[in-house]
Amino acid sequence: MFVYEKKLQYPVSIKNPNPALAKFIISQYGGPDGELGASLRYLSQRYSMPYPELKGLLTDIGTEELGHLEMVGTIVHQLTRKMSPEEIKKAGFDAYFVDHTAGVYPQFASGTPWTAATMQVKGDVLTDLHEDMAAEQKARTTYDNILTLSDDPDVNNVIKFLREREVVHYQRFGEALRLATEKLDSKNFYMTNPAFKG
Amino acid sequence: MDNKCDYKSGGLPSCAPLAMAYVPMQDSAKPTYDAAEALTRGTLFPGLDLPFMNMVNKGDLTGTPLGELMALDFVAHELVLYLDTHCNDREAFEMLRDVMKLANEAHERYAKLYGPLMHSDLEESKSFTWLKNPWPWDYCGKKED
Repeated sequence: MFVYEKKLQYPVSIKNPNPALAKFIISQYGGPDGELGASLRYLSQRYSMPYPELKGLLTDIGTEELGHLEMVGTIVHQLTRKMSPEEIKKAGFDAYFVDHTAGVYPQFASGTPWTAATMQVKGDVLTDLHEDMAAEQKARTTYDNILTLSDDPDVNNVIKFLREREVVHYQRFGEALRLATEKLDSKNFYMTNPAFKG
Repeated sequence: MDNKCDYKSGGLPSCAPLAMAYVPMQDSAKPTYDAAEALTRGTLFPGLDLPFMNMVNKGDLTGTPLGELMALDFVAHELVLYLDTHCNDREAFEMLRDVMKLANEAHERYAKLYGPLMHSDLEESKSFTWLKNPWPWDYCGKKED
């Protein structure tokens, strides 16, 4: 089960509301490489993982991603507080506003709602770990792109923290892949799928 | 695991089966940043600290009881992820136990001063203070107006 802790992993305090920034940062909430998909990917992949190291790592990183979802939601919430109708229109936030007001909705920067089609649970140890390593790189690129576009230091401090987490997670998934292959037949890693013994 | 590599690199097999990806193992949990720098940089481990365009966070977030707690919890979390893939590293486990003790103390101090962080903190509370503002997403800084 899960227990809520009433604090963020890293502080978020954004002085200047800026709906134009919120429009693309929302992608790390519910976009194709965002934190909602990350947490559901890892927490869902756990069930078919045969080794305790992988059960533990997916649980612990998946849980951290839920904390990141909350941090990105907090950024979007603070960027969209106290908006006047003029500011909403000037920032091009009107399309989002008409559907969600100042609520935080999981969607791509392009407006497509979050979809499980952006993630995979293949039920194969090697395949799922490759997916996870790719997912961390995709999230890192998204944060790089946000840093390229945003000039708000309050936002960028948080984004830099989240981006670095992707690098650390990539390392851990890579190590998990090493541990998994050590348990497999080194003459042919693809001889069986240890997650499915039919 | 050997320790021939410096902290920015890690061990790989000299010969490895084809058609598989290999990420080097981090050989040791040391060196580490201190807790404040770890939180600021987003990792406990200098070897994994690889910023984009040299955009690096500076400053110390641990000047408040909440910042101090965040830093200690973050170090503990980093060590847990490390131990998930290095479960026999006794030294890292001792580091985890040490920081867990400090984090638990900081948690108790914070809850006593500012209210519960978890339902279990209500045991020490005289009334149902769970609903007390602020919530983590509330803006608490200077008013922009």
